[in-house]
Amino acid sequence: MGRIPPEDWALPMIDALNEDFFTAGRLLLQACRACSAVQHPPEHVCRSCQGADFESRESVGTGTVYSFTVAHYPAHPSLSDSVPYAAVLVELDDYKHVRLTGNVLDVEPSEVAIGMRVRVVWQEVQDASGQMLKIPQWQRAEA
Amino acid sequence: MQRKTAVVGVGESEYFNRGGATVSEFELACTAIRNAVEDAGLPLSDVDGFVSYLDARNDPVRLSAALGLPVLNFSSQTWGGGGNGVASSLMIADAAVSAGYAEVVVAFRALAQGQFGRFGQARAGGGPASYTAHYGVMTAAQICAIQTQRFMYENDVPQDALAEISLASFAHAQRNPRAVRYGRPLTREEYHESRWIAEPLHLFDCCPENDGAAAVVITSMERARDLRKPPVPILAAAQGIEHGGGIPAFNESNFPTAHHRHAGEMLWQRAGVGPGDVQVAQFYENFTGPVLMAMAEMGFCAPEEIASFVSNGNIQWPDGNLPINTSGGNLGEAYIHGFENINEAVRQVRGESTCQVEGVELSLSVSGPGFAPGSTILFCRD
Ligand SMILES: [Zn+2]
Repeated sequence: MGRIPPEDWALPMIDALNEDFFTAGRLLLQACRACSAVQHPPEHVCRSCQGADFESRESVGTGTVYSFTVAHYPAHPSLSDSVPYAAVLVELDDYKHVRLTGNVLDVEPSEVAIGMRVRVVWQEVQDASGQMLKIPQWQRAEA
Repeated sequence: MQRKTAVVGVGESEYFNRGGATVSEFELACTAIRNAVEDAGLPLSDVDGFVSYLDARNDPVRLSAALGLPVLNFSSQTWGGGGNGVASSLMIADAAVSAGYAEVVVAFRALAQGQFGRFGQARAGGGPASYTAHYGVMTAAQICAIQTQRFMYENDVPQDALAEISLASFAHAQRNPRAVRYGRPLTREEYHESRWIAEPLHLFDCCPENDGAAAVVITSMERARDLRKPPVPILAAAQGIEHGGGIPAFNESNFPTAHHRHAGEMLWQRAGVGPGDVQVAQFYENFTGPVLMAMAEMGFCAPEEIASFVSNGNIQWPDGNLPINTSGGNLGEAYIHGFENINEAVRQVRGESTCQVEGVELSLSVSGPGFAPGSTILFCRD
Protein backbone atom coordinates (compact mmCIF):
# COMPACT_ATOMS: atom_id res chain seq x y z
CA MET A 1 0.00 0.00 0.00
CA GLY A 2 1.14 3.51 -0.79
CA ARG A 3 1.76 6.02 1.93
CA ILE A 4 -1.22 8.21 2.84
CA PRO A 5 -0.88 11.06 3.18
CA PRO A 6 2.26 11.23 1.01
CA GLU A 7 5.30 13.19 2.22
CA ASP A 8 4.69 16.11 -0.13
CA TRP A 9 0.96 16.37 0.49
CA ALA A 10 -0.75 19.57 1.64
CA LEU A 11 -0.91 20.24 5.38
CA PRO A 12 -3.87 21.81 7.16
CA MET A 13 -3.75 25.61 7.04
CA ILE A 14 -3.63 26.68 10.67
CA ASP A 15 -5.99 29.40 11.86
CA ALA A 16 -7.36 30.55 15.21
CA LEU A 17 -10.15 27.96 15.14
CA ASN A 18 -8.15 24.85 14.26
CA GLU A 19 -4.82 25.59 15.96
CA ASP A 20 -5.52 23.58 19.14
CA PHE A 21 -6.78 20.61 17.14
CA PHE A 22 -3.71 20.40 14.92
CA THR A 23 -0.91 21.46 17.32
CA ALA A 24 -1.72 20.36 20.90
CA GLY A 25 -0.87 16.68 20.49
CA ARG A 26 -3.99 15.92 22.51
CA LEU A 27 -7.47 15.57 21.05
CA LEU A 28 -8.87 18.92 22.13
CA LEU A 29 -12.45 19.69 21.17
CA GLN A 30 -14.26 23.01 21.41
CA ALA A 31 -16.72 23.24 24.33
CA CYS A 32 -19.14 26.09 25.08
CA ARG A 33 -18.68 27.58 28.57
CA ALA A 34 -22.33 28.61 28.71
CA CYS A 35 -24.09 25.36 27.78
CA SER A 36 -21.25 22.79 27.81
CA ALA A 37 -22.02 21.66 24.25
CA VAL A 38 -19.00 20.15 22.47
CA GLN A 39 -18.92 20.93 18.79
CA HIS A 40 -16.74 19.97 15.83
CA PRO A 41 -15.46 21.51 13.67
CA PRO A 42 -14.89 24.53 15.93
CA GLU A 43 -16.83 27.68 15.08
CA HIS A 44 -16.98 31.25 16.31
CA VAL A 45 -20.44 30.74 17.80
CA CYS A 46 -21.97 27.86 19.75
CA ARG A 47 -24.41 25.98 17.50
CA SER A 48 -26.53 25.07 20.52
CA CYS A 49 -26.91 28.35 22.44
CA GLN A 50 -25.25 31.01 20.23
CA GLY A 51 -22.72 31.68 23.00
CA ALA A 52 -19.23 32.78 22.02
CA ASP A 53 -17.08 31.83 25.03
CA PHE A 54 -15.27 28.52 24.68
CA GLU A 55 -12.90 26.18 26.48
CA SER A 56 -11.16 22.97 25.43
CA ARG A 57 -12.42 19.50 26.30
CA GLU A 58 -10.08 16.56 25.81
CA SER A 59 -11.30 13.33 24.24
CA VAL A 60 -9.73 10.03 25.31
CA GLY A 61 -9.08 9.44 21.61
CA THR A 62 -10.76 6.12 20.96
CA GLY A 63 -13.57 5.49 18.57
CA THR A 64 -15.22 3.44 15.88
CA VAL A 65 -15.10 3.72 12.09
CA TYR A 66 -18.47 5.27 11.21
CA SER A 67 -18.01 5.41 7.45
CA PHE A 68 -15.19 5.30 4.91
CA THR A 69 -14.26 5.28 1.27
CA VAL A 70 -11.45 3.60 -0.57
CA ALA A 71 -10.20 6.11 -3.13
CA HIS A 72 -8.94 4.46 -6.31
CA TYR A 73 -8.76 7.54 -8.51
CA PRO A 74 -5.98 9.97 -7.53
CA ALA A 75 -7.68 13.34 -7.28
CA HIS A 76 -4.30 15.03 -7.42
CA PRO A 77 -1.02 13.94 -9.10
CA SER A 78 0.69 13.83 -5.68
CA LEU A 79 -1.67 11.02 -4.68
CA SER A 80 -0.86 8.75 -7.66
CA ASP A 81 1.39 6.49 -5.59
CA SER A 82 -0.99 6.45 -2.63
CA VAL A 83 -4.09 4.97 -4.32
CA PRO A 84 -5.89 2.88 -3.41
CA TYR A 85 -6.13 4.40 0.05
CA ALA A 86 -8.89 4.44 2.66
CA ALA A 87 -10.21 7.58 4.31
CA VAL A 88 -12.38 7.05 7.37
CA LEU A 89 -14.83 8.90 9.56
CA VAL A 90 -14.28 8.07 13.22
CA GLU A 91 -17.09 8.40 15.74
CA LEU A 92 -15.51 9.21 19.11
CA ASP A 93 -16.41 7.01 22.09
CA ASP A 94 -16.78 9.93 24.49
CA TYR A 95 -18.39 12.46 22.11
CA LYS A 96 -20.55 10.34 19.83
CA HIS A 97 -21.83 13.21 17.72
CA VAL A 98 -18.26 14.17 16.77
CA ARG A 99 -16.93 12.57 13.59
CA LEU A 100 -13.28 13.02 12.66
CA THR A 101 -11.87 12.36 9.22
CA GLY A 102 -8.59 10.45 9.02
CA ASN A 103 -6.65 7.44 7.79
CA VAL A 104 -6.07 4.15 9.63
CA LEU A 105 -2.31 4.00 9.17
CA ASP A 106 -1.66 0.34 10.00
CA VAL A 107 -4.51 -1.30 8.09
CA GLU A 108 -4.78 -2.28 4.41
CA PRO A 109 -7.57 -0.37 2.61
CA SER A 110 -9.43 -3.60 1.85
CA GLU A 111 -9.62 -4.40 5.58
CA VAL A 112 -11.20 -1.13 6.66
CA ALA A 113 -14.83 -1.58 7.67
CA ILE A 114 -17.58 0.24 9.52
CA GLY A 115 -17.39 -0.73 13.18
CA MET A 116 -13.58 -1.15 13.28
CA ARG A 117 -12.15 0.02 16.63
CA VAL A 118 -9.42 2.67 16.38
CA ARG A 119 -7.31 4.90 18.62
CA VAL A 120 -5.68 8.22 17.84
CA VAL A 121 -1.99 8.51 16.98
CA TRP A 122 -0.05 11.68 16.26
CA GLN A 123 1.71 12.58 13.07
CA GLU A 124 4.34 15.28 13.72
CA VAL A 125 5.35 17.49 10.84
CA GLN A 126 6.63 21.03 10.42
CA ASP A 127 4.68 23.30 8.10
CA ALA A 128 6.06 25.95 5.74
CA SER A 129 5.87 28.64 8.41
CA GLY A 130 8.04 26.55 10.76
CA GLN A 131 5.17 25.66 13.08
CA MET A 132 5.21 22.09 14.42
CA LEU A 133 1.89 20.35 13.69
CA LYS A 134 0.63 17.29 15.54
CA ILE A 135 -2.02 15.90 13.25
CA PRO A 136 -4.47 13.30 14.58
CA GLN A 137 -4.42 9.98 12.75
CA TRP A 138 -5.64 6.48 13.61
CA GLN A 139 -4.48 2.96 14.22
CA ARG A 140 -6.42 -0.21 14.86
CA ALA A 141 -7.37 -0.82 18.50
CA GLU A 142 -8.51 -3.98 20.25
CA ALA A 143 -12.27 -4.44 20.32
CA MET B 1 -44.84 30.16 -6.65
CA GLN B 2 -48.36 28.79 -6.96
CA ARG B 3 -48.61 29.40 -10.72
CA LYS B 4 -47.59 33.05 -10.66
CA THR B 5 -44.93 32.38 -13.30
CA ALA B 6 -44.29 29.75 -15.93
CA VAL B 7 -41.55 28.36 -18.10
CA VAL B 8 -42.37 29.34 -21.66
CA GLY B 9 -39.21 28.39 -23.54
CA VAL B 10 -36.66 25.58 -23.43
CA GLY B 11 -33.40 25.42 -25.34
CA GLU B 12 -29.93 24.00 -25.44
CA SER B 13 -26.77 23.89 -27.49
CA GLU B 14 -25.54 20.67 -28.97
CA TYR B 15 -24.09 18.47 -26.20
CA PHE B 16 -20.50 17.22 -26.50
CA ASN B 17 -18.03 15.05 -24.66
CA ARG B 18 -15.64 17.01 -22.43
CA GLY B 19 -13.42 19.10 -24.66
CA GLY B 20 -15.60 18.34 -27.68
CA ALA B 21 -17.08 21.80 -28.13
CA THR B 22 -15.43 23.71 -30.96
CA VAL B 23 -16.78 27.06 -29.77
CA SER B 24 -16.31 28.94 -26.51
CA GLU B 25 -18.38 28.33 -23.42
CA PHE B 26 -19.81 31.83 -23.83
CA GLU B 27 -20.99 31.03 -27.35
CA LEU B 28 -22.61 27.84 -26.06
CA ALA B 29 -24.46 29.94 -23.49
CA CYS B 30 -25.65 32.39 -26.16
CA THR B 31 -26.83 29.53 -28.37
CA ALA B 32 -28.86 27.89 -25.60
CA ILE B 33 -30.41 31.22 -24.60
CA ARG B 34 -31.33 32.11 -28.19
CA ASN B 35 -32.87 28.68 -28.71
CA ALA B 36 -34.91 28.91 -25.51
CA VAL B 37 -36.20 32.40 -26.38
CA GLU B 38 -37.04 31.32 -29.92
CA ASP B 39 -38.87 28.27 -28.55
CA ALA B 40 -40.98 30.66 -26.47
CA GLY B 41 -41.84 32.71 -29.55
CA LEU B 42 -40.47 35.85 -27.92
CA PRO B 43 -38.14 38.41 -29.45
CA LEU B 44 -34.71 38.31 -27.82
CA SER B 45 -35.14 41.99 -26.99
CA ASP B 46 -37.85 41.09 -24.45
CA VAL B 47 -35.35 39.35 -22.15
CA ASP B 48 -34.51 41.59 -19.20
CA GLY B 49 -33.00 39.24 -16.60
CA PHE B 50 -30.60 36.31 -16.08
CA VAL B 51 -30.11 33.80 -13.27
CA SER B 52 -27.66 30.93 -12.78
CA TYR B 53 -25.70 29.19 -9.98
CA LEU B 54 -22.24 28.30 -8.69
CA ASP B 55 -20.00 31.11 -9.86
CA ALA B 56 -21.37 31.10 -13.38
CA ARG B 57 -18.66 32.43 -15.66
CA ASN B 58 -20.94 33.82 -18.35
CA ASP B 59 -22.02 36.95 -16.62
CA PRO B 60 -25.25 38.79 -17.40
CA VAL B 61 -23.56 42.09 -18.27
CA ARG B 62 -21.57 40.49 -21.07
CA LEU B 63 -24.63 38.48 -22.13
CA SER B 64 -26.89 41.49 -22.30
CA ALA B 65 -24.34 43.34 -24.41
CA ALA B 66 -23.66 40.37 -26.70
CA LEU B 67 -27.35 39.68 -27.21
CA GLY B 68 -28.16 43.35 -27.78
CA LEU B 69 -30.74 43.59 -25.01
CA PRO B 70 -32.42 46.99 -24.64
CA VAL B 71 -32.22 46.78 -20.83
CA LEU B 72 -31.02 44.49 -18.08
CA ASN B 73 -33.32 44.69 -15.06
CA PHE B 74 -32.28 41.72 -12.96
CA SER B 75 -29.35 39.34 -12.50
CA SER B 76 -28.58 36.92 -9.69
CA GLN B 77 -27.25 33.50 -8.78
CA THR B 78 -27.27 31.15 -5.81
CA TRP B 79 -24.54 30.27 -3.33
CA GLY B 80 -23.28 26.95 -2.24
CA GLY B 81 -21.87 23.66 -3.41
CA GLY B 82 -22.57 23.10 -7.07
CA GLY B 83 -25.47 21.41 -8.78
CA ASN B 84 -27.54 21.74 -5.63
CA GLY B 85 -28.37 25.25 -6.87
CA VAL B 86 -30.10 24.36 -10.15
CA ALA B 87 -33.69 24.64 -8.91
CA SER B 88 -32.73 27.60 -6.70
CA SER B 89 -31.87 29.58 -9.82
CA LEU B 90 -35.40 29.12 -11.14
CA MET B 91 -36.74 29.97 -7.69
CA ILE B 92 -34.94 33.31 -7.93
CA ALA B 93 -36.38 33.91 -11.39
CA ASP B 94 -39.86 33.04 -10.14
CA ALA B 95 -39.44 35.48 -7.24
CA ALA B 96 -38.08 38.26 -9.46
CA VAL B 97 -40.87 37.99 -12.01
CA SER B 98 -43.56 37.62 -9.31
CA ALA B 99 -42.24 40.75 -7.59
CA GLY B 100 -42.14 42.69 -10.84
CA TYR B 101 -38.39 43.28 -10.86
CA ALA B 102 -38.14 41.72 -14.31
CA GLU B 103 -40.55 40.51 -16.97
CA VAL B 104 -38.68 37.85 -18.91
CA VAL B 105 -35.88 36.04 -17.08
CA VAL B 106 -33.56 33.43 -18.60
CA ALA B 107 -32.18 30.74 -16.27
CA PHE B 108 -29.22 28.97 -17.80
CA ARG B 109 -26.01 27.03 -17.37
CA ALA B 110 -23.09 26.65 -19.76
CA LEU B 111 -20.13 24.33 -19.34
CA ALA B 112 -17.00 23.74 -21.34
CA GLN B 113 -14.81 22.49 -18.55
CA GLY B 114 -11.85 21.77 -20.76
CA GLN B 115 -11.58 25.52 -21.30
CA PHE B 116 -11.38 26.14 -17.55
CA GLY B 117 -10.53 24.24 -14.37
CA ARG B 118 -12.51 21.27 -13.21
CA PHE B 119 -15.22 21.63 -10.59
CA GLY B 120 -14.25 20.14 -7.27
CA GLN B 121 -10.63 19.96 -8.35
CA ALA B 122 -8.36 18.80 -5.55
CA ARG B 123 -6.77 21.54 -3.54
CA ALA B 124 -5.37 21.97 -0.08
CA GLY B 125 -7.75 23.57 2.31
CA GLY B 126 -7.99 26.09 5.05
CA GLY B 127 -11.18 26.53 7.06
CA PRO B 128 -13.48 23.49 7.11
CA ALA B 129 -11.42 21.72 4.42
CA SER B 130 -8.46 21.62 6.82
CA TYR B 131 -10.26 18.78 8.64
CA THR B 132 -10.52 16.62 5.52
CA ALA B 133 -8.11 17.55 2.70
CA HIS B 134 -4.95 16.42 4.47
CA TYR B 135 -6.44 12.93 4.77
CA GLY B 136 -7.02 12.69 1.03
CA VAL B 137 -10.70 13.67 1.05
CA MET B 138 -11.21 16.52 -1.41
CA THR B 139 -13.44 15.57 -4.29
CA ALA B 140 -17.20 15.45 -4.64
CA ALA B 141 -16.89 11.73 -5.47
CA GLN B 142 -15.03 10.99 -2.22
CA ILE B 143 -17.44 13.07 -0.14
CA CYS B 144 -20.47 11.41 -1.68
CA ALA B 145 -18.83 7.98 -1.32
CA ILE B 146 -18.45 8.47 2.43
CA GLN B 147 -22.09 9.59 2.70
CA THR B 148 -23.25 6.68 0.56
CA GLN B 149 -21.25 4.05 2.45
CA ARG B 150 -22.98 4.97 5.72
CA PHE B 151 -26.40 5.21 4.06
CA MET B 152 -25.95 1.72 2.59
CA TYR B 153 -24.84 0.34 5.98
CA GLU B 154 -27.73 1.86 7.93
CA ASN B 155 -30.40 0.88 5.43
CA ASP B 156 -29.07 -2.43 4.11
CA VAL B 157 -28.77 -1.06 0.57
CA PRO B 158 -27.08 -3.39 -1.97
CA GLN B 159 -24.76 -2.22 -4.75
CA ASP B 160 -27.48 -3.15 -7.23
CA ALA B 161 -29.64 -0.28 -5.93
CA LEU B 162 -26.95 2.16 -7.06
CA ALA B 163 -26.80 0.34 -10.39
CA GLU B 164 -30.54 0.89 -10.91
CA ILE B 165 -30.06 4.67 -11.05
CA SER B 166 -27.33 4.36 -13.62
CA LEU B 167 -29.23 1.78 -15.68
CA ALA B 168 -32.37 3.95 -15.77
CA SER B 169 -30.45 7.00 -17.01
CA PHE B 170 -28.57 5.04 -19.68
CA ALA B 171 -31.73 3.24 -20.84
CA HIS B 172 -33.60 6.53 -21.25
CA ALA B 173 -30.65 8.11 -23.09
CA GLN B 174 -31.04 5.47 -25.81
CA ARG B 175 -34.26 7.18 -26.97
CA ASN B 176 -32.87 10.73 -26.87
CA PRO B 177 -30.84 11.81 -29.93
CA ARG B 178 -29.41 14.77 -27.95
CA ALA B 179 -27.84 12.38 -25.45
CA VAL B 180 -24.08 11.96 -25.47
CA ARG B 181 -24.67 8.27 -24.60
CA TYR B 182 -27.24 7.82 -27.40
CA GLY B 183 -26.53 4.50 -29.11
CA ARG B 184 -24.25 3.30 -26.32
CA PRO B 185 -26.36 1.39 -23.79
CA LEU B 186 -25.08 0.07 -20.46
CA THR B 187 -25.61 -3.44 -19.11
CA ARG B 188 -25.77 -4.44 -15.46
CA GLU B 189 -22.61 -6.51 -15.98
CA GLU B 190 -20.72 -3.52 -17.42
CA TYR B 191 -21.83 -1.46 -14.45
CA HIS B 192 -20.52 -3.95 -11.89
CA GLU B 193 -17.30 -4.61 -13.83
CA SER B 194 -16.45 -0.92 -14.20
CA ARG B 195 -13.52 0.31 -12.14
CA TRP B 196 -13.88 1.87 -8.73
CA ILE B 197 -13.53 5.63 -8.45
CA ALA B 198 -14.13 5.86 -4.70
CA GLU B 199 -15.78 2.83 -3.10
CA PRO B 200 -18.74 2.26 -3.10
CA LEU B 201 -18.88 4.32 -6.31
CA HIS B 202 -17.99 2.66 -9.60
CA LEU B 203 -17.14 4.59 -12.76
CA PHE B 204 -20.78 4.38 -13.86
CA ASP B 205 -22.00 5.78 -10.56
CA CYS B 206 -20.24 9.03 -11.40
CA CYS B 207 -21.48 11.60 -13.88
CA PRO B 208 -19.19 12.35 -16.82
CA GLU B 209 -17.92 15.78 -17.82
CA ASN B 210 -19.47 17.35 -20.90
CA ASP B 211 -19.55 20.57 -22.88
CA GLY B 212 -22.82 22.31 -23.61
CA ALA B 213 -25.41 24.78 -22.43
CA ALA B 214 -29.09 24.73 -21.54
CA ALA B 215 -31.60 27.46 -20.75
CA VAL B 216 -35.24 28.13 -19.95
CA VAL B 217 -37.33 31.30 -20.16
CA ILE B 218 -39.57 32.36 -17.26
CA THR B 219 -42.28 34.99 -17.42
CA SER B 220 -45.54 35.87 -15.70
CA MET B 221 -48.52 33.53 -16.03
CA GLU B 222 -50.58 36.22 -17.81
CA ARG B 223 -47.94 36.80 -20.43
CA ALA B 224 -47.19 33.08 -20.71
CA ARG B 225 -50.66 32.24 -22.00
CA ASP B 226 -50.18 34.38 -25.14
CA LEU B 227 -47.04 32.65 -26.33
CA ARG B 228 -46.24 29.94 -28.83
CA LYS B 229 -46.42 26.90 -26.58
CA PRO B 230 -48.56 25.96 -23.59
CA PRO B 231 -47.03 27.47 -20.44
CA VAL B 232 -45.51 25.20 -17.81
CA PRO B 233 -46.33 26.84 -14.47
CA ILE B 234 -43.99 26.75 -11.50
CA LEU B 235 -46.20 25.31 -8.78
CA ALA B 236 -43.55 25.55 -6.06
CA ALA B 237 -39.83 25.64 -5.43
CA ALA B 238 -37.75 25.27 -2.28
CA GLN B 239 -34.19 25.60 -1.09
CA GLY B 240 -32.70 25.15 2.37
CA ILE B 241 -31.45 23.02 5.23
CA GLU B 242 -32.54 22.26 8.77
CA HIS B 243 -30.67 23.08 12.00
CA GLY B 244 -27.27 21.44 11.99
CA GLY B 245 -27.63 20.43 8.37
CA GLY B 246 -24.83 22.73 7.29
CA ILE B 247 -22.10 21.69 9.74
CA PRO B 248 -18.99 20.91 7.67
CA ALA B 249 -16.61 17.95 7.55
CA PHE B 250 -19.28 15.21 7.82
CA ASN B 251 -20.60 16.53 11.14
CA GLU B 252 -24.12 17.41 9.98
CA SER B 253 -26.61 16.57 12.71
CA ASN B 254 -28.47 14.38 10.23
CA PHE B 255 -25.46 12.74 8.50
CA PRO B 256 -25.67 10.93 6.14
CA THR B 257 -27.91 13.30 4.25
CA ALA B 258 -28.54 14.36 0.67
CA HIS B 259 -29.54 17.77 2.12
CA HIS B 260 -33.02 17.52 0.63
CA ARG B 261 -35.20 16.70 3.66
CA HIS B 262 -36.03 20.30 4.55
CA ALA B 263 -36.30 21.48 0.94
CA GLY B 264 -38.61 18.54 0.24
CA GLU B 265 -40.86 19.31 3.18
CA MET B 266 -41.10 22.96 2.17
CA LEU B 267 -41.81 22.05 -1.44
CA TRP B 268 -44.75 19.77 -0.64
CA GLN B 269 -46.11 22.24 1.90
CA ARG B 270 -45.98 25.11 -0.60
CA ALA B 271 -47.38 23.05 -3.45
CA GLY B 272 -50.19 21.46 -1.45
CA VAL B 273 -49.44 18.05 -2.94
CA GLY B 274 -47.22 15.11 -1.99
CA PRO B 275 -44.68 12.82 -3.62
CA GLY B 276 -47.39 10.31 -4.46
CA ASP B 277 -49.05 12.87 -6.74
CA VAL B 278 -46.02 13.18 -9.04
CA GLN B 279 -45.93 11.29 -12.34
CA VAL B 280 -42.29 11.83 -13.33
CA ALA B 281 -39.11 13.11 -11.66
CA GLN B 282 -35.62 14.22 -12.62
CA PHE B 283 -32.96 13.62 -9.97
CA TYR B 284 -29.58 15.29 -10.49
CA GLU B 285 -27.07 12.45 -10.55
CA ASN B 286 -23.68 13.67 -9.47
CA PHE B 287 -23.33 10.16 -8.07
CA THR B 288 -25.94 7.44 -7.82
CA GLY B 289 -25.75 6.91 -4.05
CA PRO B 290 -26.88 10.41 -3.10
CA VAL B 291 -29.75 10.08 -5.59
CA LEU B 292 -31.07 7.18 -3.51
CA MET B 293 -30.74 9.34 -0.40
CA ALA B 294 -32.51 12.26 -2.09
CA MET B 295 -35.41 10.04 -3.21
CA ALA B 296 -35.97 8.96 0.37
CA GLU B 297 -35.58 12.48 1.77
CA MET B 298 -38.05 13.84 -0.79
CA GLY B 299 -40.53 11.38 0.68
CA PHE B 300 -40.90 8.82 -2.11
CA CYS B 301 -40.15 5.95 0.29
CA ALA B 302 -38.52 5.24 3.64
CA PRO B 303 -34.72 4.94 3.47
CA GLU B 304 -34.86 1.23 4.27
CA GLU B 305 -37.29 0.71 1.37
CA ILE B 306 -35.11 2.39 -1.25
CA ALA B 307 -33.64 -0.80 -2.72
CA SER B 308 -37.06 -2.24 -3.50
CA PHE B 309 -38.38 1.16 -4.63
CA VAL B 310 -35.79 1.45 -7.41
CA SER B 311 -35.82 -2.22 -8.47
CA ASN B 312 -37.94 -4.16 -10.93
CA GLY B 313 -38.09 -1.31 -13.41
CA ASN B 314 -40.04 0.96 -11.04
CA ILE B 315 -37.98 4.02 -12.01
CA GLN B 316 -37.77 3.19 -15.74
CA TRP B 317 -39.96 4.38 -18.57
CA PRO B 318 -42.54 3.32 -19.73
CA ASP B 319 -43.83 0.89 -17.11
CA GLY B 320 -42.35 2.18 -13.85
CA ASN B 321 -44.49 3.96 -11.29
CA LEU B 322 -41.97 6.81 -11.09
CA PRO B 323 -39.80 7.11 -14.21
CA ILE B 324 -36.76 9.23 -13.39
CA ASN B 325 -34.18 11.02 -15.54
CA THR B 326 -36.21 10.43 -18.67
CA SER B 327 -33.84 12.31 -21.00
CA GLY B 328 -30.88 10.32 -19.71
CA GLY B 329 -29.94 12.86 -17.06
CA ASN B 330 -26.42 13.84 -16.11
CA LEU B 331 -25.19 10.29 -16.68
CA GLY B 332 -26.74 9.58 -20.06
CA GLU B 333 -27.86 12.80 -21.75
CA ALA B 334 -25.13 15.19 -20.70
CA TYR B 335 -23.69 16.77 -17.59
CA ILE B 336 -24.74 20.37 -18.17
CA HIS B 337 -24.36 20.79 -14.44
CA GLY B 338 -27.86 19.40 -14.05
CA PHE B 339 -29.66 22.05 -16.07
CA GLU B 340 -30.66 19.47 -18.70
CA ASN B 341 -32.89 17.99 -15.97
CA ILE B 342 -34.85 21.25 -15.80
CA ASN B 343 -35.40 21.22 -19.56
CA GLU B 344 -36.58 17.62 -19.35
CA ALA B 345 -38.96 18.30 -16.44
CA VAL B 346 -40.57 21.07 -18.54
CA ARG B 347 -40.74 18.88 -21.65
CA GLN B 348 -42.57 16.19 -19.67
CA VAL B 349 -45.39 18.65 -18.89
CA ARG B 350 -45.49 19.76 -22.54
CA GLY B 351 -45.57 16.20 -23.84
CA GLU B 352 -42.28 16.62 -25.73
CA SER B 353 -40.03 14.06 -24.01
CA THR B 354 -38.45 11.20 -25.91
CA CYS B 355 -39.59 9.04 -22.96
CA GLN B 356 -42.93 10.75 -22.54
CA VAL B 357 -44.88 9.71 -19.48
CA GLU B 358 -48.63 9.67 -20.06
CA GLY B 359 -50.89 12.13 -18.27
CA VAL B 360 -48.25 14.26 -16.55
CA GLU B 361 -49.89 16.71 -14.16
CA LEU B 362 -46.87 17.23 -11.87
CA SER B 363 -43.24 17.05 -12.95
CA LEU B 364 -40.49 17.24 -10.32
CA SER B 365 -36.84 18.22 -10.56
CA VAL B 366 -34.48 17.63 -7.63
CA SER B 367 -31.10 19.35 -7.71
CA GLY B 368 -27.67 18.02 -6.80
CA PRO B 369 -27.74 15.85 -3.65
CA GLY B 370 -25.01 15.58 -1.03
CA PHE B 371 -24.22 19.28 -0.84
CA ALA B 372 -26.05 21.99 1.06
CA PRO B 373 -28.45 23.62 0.62
CA GLY B 374 -30.65 21.25 -1.36
CA SER B 375 -33.16 22.67 -3.80
CA THR B 376 -36.07 21.38 -5.80
CA ILE B 377 -38.83 22.62 -8.12
CA LEU B 378 -42.23 21.32 -9.10
CA PHE B 379 -43.86 22.11 -12.45
CA CYS B 380 -47.53 21.53 -13.21
CA ARG B 381 -49.97 21.53 -16.10
CA ASP B 382 -51.71 24.87 -16.65
ZN1 LIG C 1 -23.51 26.87 23.99
